[in-house]
Amino acid sequence: MDYFEVFGLPRQLGIDTLALEKTFHELSRKYHPDYFTTASPSKKTQAVRLTALLNDAYRTLRHPVHRVEYLLSLYGYKPDSSKVSQVLLMEVFEINEQLEGVKGGTASVEEADSLRALIKEKRERFDAELRQASLEWDELLKSAKAEAKLKEQLARLTEILSESSYIRNLERELE
Amino acid sequence: MPKIVGIDLGTTNSLVAIVEDGTPRVVPGRDGSMLVPSVIYFDESGTTFVGNPAKEKMVERPRNTVFSIKRFMGKGIEDVREDLPLLPFQVAPESEHILRLNIFGRDYTPPELSAFILRELKRNAETALGEEIKNAVITVPAYFNDAQRQATKDAGRIAGLDVLRIVNEPTAASLAYGLDKRKQGTIAVYDFGGGTFDISILKLRDGIFEVLSTSGDTHLGGDDIDEILIRLVLKELDQRPDVHQLQAIRRAVNTAKEELSAADRADITVEELHYGRSLTREEFNRLIDPIIERTLGPCRQALQDAGLNAADMDEVVMVGGSTRIPLVRRRVQELFGRVPHTELNPDEVVALGAAVQADILAGSRRDMLLLDVTPLSLGIETMGGVMSKIIPRNSTIPASATEMFTTFIDGQTNVKIHVLQGERELVKDCRSLAQFDLKDIPPMPAGLPRIEVKFLIDADGILSVSAQEQRTNKHQSIEVKPTYGLTDEQVEQMILESFEYAEVDIAARLVIEARNEAETVLNATAKGIADEQYANLSEEERAEIAAASARLREVMRTNDHEVIRQSIERLSNATMHLAELIMNAAISKALKDKRVREIQ
Repeated sequence: MDYFEVFGLPRQLGIDTLALEKTFHELSRKYHPDYFTTASPSKKTQAVRLTALLNDAYRTLRHPVHRVEYLLSLYGYKPDSSKVSQVLLMEVFEINEQLEGVKGGTASVEEADSLRALIKEKRERFDAELRQASLEWDELLKSAKAEAKLKEQLARLTEILSESSYIRNLERELE
Repeated sequence: MPKIVGIDLGTTNSLVAIVEDGTPRVVPGRDGSMLVPSVIYFDESGTTFVGNPAKEKMVERPRNTVFSIKRFMGKGIEDVREDLPLLPFQVAPESEHILRLNIFGRDYTPPELSAFILRELKRNAETALGEEIKNAVITVPAYFNDAQRQATKDAGRIAGLDVLRIVNEPTAASLAYGLDKRKQGTIAVYDFGGGTFDISILKLRDGIFEVLSTSGDTHLGGDDIDEILIRLVLKELDQRPDVHQLQAIRRAVNTAKEELSAADRADITVEELHYGRSLTREEFNRLIDPIIERTLGPCRQALQDAGLNAADMDEVVMVGGSTRIPLVRRRVQELFGRVPHTELNPDEVVALGAAVQADILAGSRRDMLLLDVTPLSLGIETMGGVMSKIIPRNSTIPASATEMFTTFIDGQTNVKIHVLQGERELVKDCRSLAQFDLKDIPPMPAGLPRIEVKFLIDADGILSVSAQEQRTNKHQSIEVKPTYGLTDEQVEQMILESFEYAEVDIAARLVIEARNEAETVLNATAKGIADEQYANLSEEERAEIAAASARLREVMRTNDHEVIRQSIERLSNATMHLAELIMNAAISKALKDKRVREIQ
């Protein structure tokens, strides 16, 4: 059973997280090991396994980026940060140098702030791209388009994640 | 369903609680106190005493009175090197991976020592409830790692308890807190105890207690405050104290610390050293401020991990004895911008919550459900000493992750997996959990085997690993070498040895109880002989009382409780007539007095 099936959802990327939480709580009440203390060992083990699956699914699907990564993995796609454009690599290289300055304490407060703003702006641009591409995926899925089209879109999503992973790493380092 | 008790196995005090008619209550010990001090005293004969009687021996018998053992759970000697100079314990050799304390020539691991406390709580519950107790829920600090949790579970097993669940202390507290109020919203539980600090952020909704994030420090608590004060005293002394004096200082600063929660000034008096000084609350606050500051970092981290701000908290709940310190309350209030709840007894709330969780497990209530998280990221060692995370911290448990492994050499039949916990990137900065050795892999060319390894963190926050070779579908056998823990065989051995203790304990207890009763009977006899009615006894009767008394005095110092009991019985029989005479005289006197009053 994949994570979408756990929640009875089609493989779409637009997910109502409030509804997801509600289902998560309902399913937890059904399968949680707390309610199987007196059950047979095999039922106990099953409760732990099912709840682990439910928790793994909830953790993955409620996060907009992990959700895309997971969808891609279902089709055998894997974002690869080594396959990005030279232009982006140069950009990242430059930002990295500035980051060293901030971390080493040689940069001024203004420089640090402007670097933060720059990284945030870039990350938000990727987020917007990812949202757009996710919407497109859902449309394609609904209209039952040809497989070639879907594959194209999966490749596009993979590309966005590959490129944005750099920025996300930089942002994490800045924290 | 047999009864399940909730146990708070604390650094300073431990408690056992149970739910009856839907309400949790703490079960008192034989001496009537709710708190059992987490102290174990070993006497020369091998008898152990737990709780208040043991606490009394801390100064007199420092080498064989063990306290704060929780701080050593799941630890090796390097982890506690800094604490040891201020502790009176003798660390045994071979303490690299599991600290061992030597007492009267025998080595004890922290789980074995904790088992003494658990056995005492078990007995208290059995006495109070009148039935054998086999099942328990035991609480641990939320920030406890895998080894510390496993050590706690081992302690339960050694004590003869089936530990049905390990529950995080702040989460247990939230259960007790949310019980009577049907609360909704977001709460922060700030749990500052004797040895550990936890912060948990929870969302309460329709009876579901969902932990969003947790953080903490398992080596930060009231003990650290005591240490600061001990160092203050040591600096002012012109001599190096011996272990007795060190313990006297510990007791004195602890008293002063507790007094300063209510008073503006307290005295630290150590008679053994002719030392005395006064400490103002201002001075105290200045000294402990760095400790309290160390709790605020984890608070901010937990809020960030939950994606919330301090202002988003609907309630802040205080748990643990150290939250009685006014400065702690002030700093927490400043951080969260609201007055924290202190109405629940911070010593009891965790045990009460554990009892509620036990009640849920017993199937008594389905309206409440705890969804807890793992406090630390789980990862495996990859090339270059890098830790690769496979289950991130704050994942709801049970949680799992699957990884594929293969071989590097043709015909390789073993693959080693090093599992770690922590947030840092390099293996050397994380906590090693265990080495898992995948064995008997079918010999194949390098890279061909596909071994699917499943990592599962269960509802106790404890890891288990299973593996399957995908090409042969063969279930892979795994040998586990815990880095800071006991193997299953070691625990089994300790369980066997503990039976011996249980017997020694019970025998010793029976002797003590018989002696106490002998004391009472002898005192009563002395009073009876002094009574004027004694003259009305026959010659034979008086001789028998004298003989029976002498016999009882003679045998009551032996260790045979049955012989003592027989002698008590003999003396009781011998004094029966005397008791009757005294009673009758008292009654007729009372009647006479009454008549006199009526006439008047």
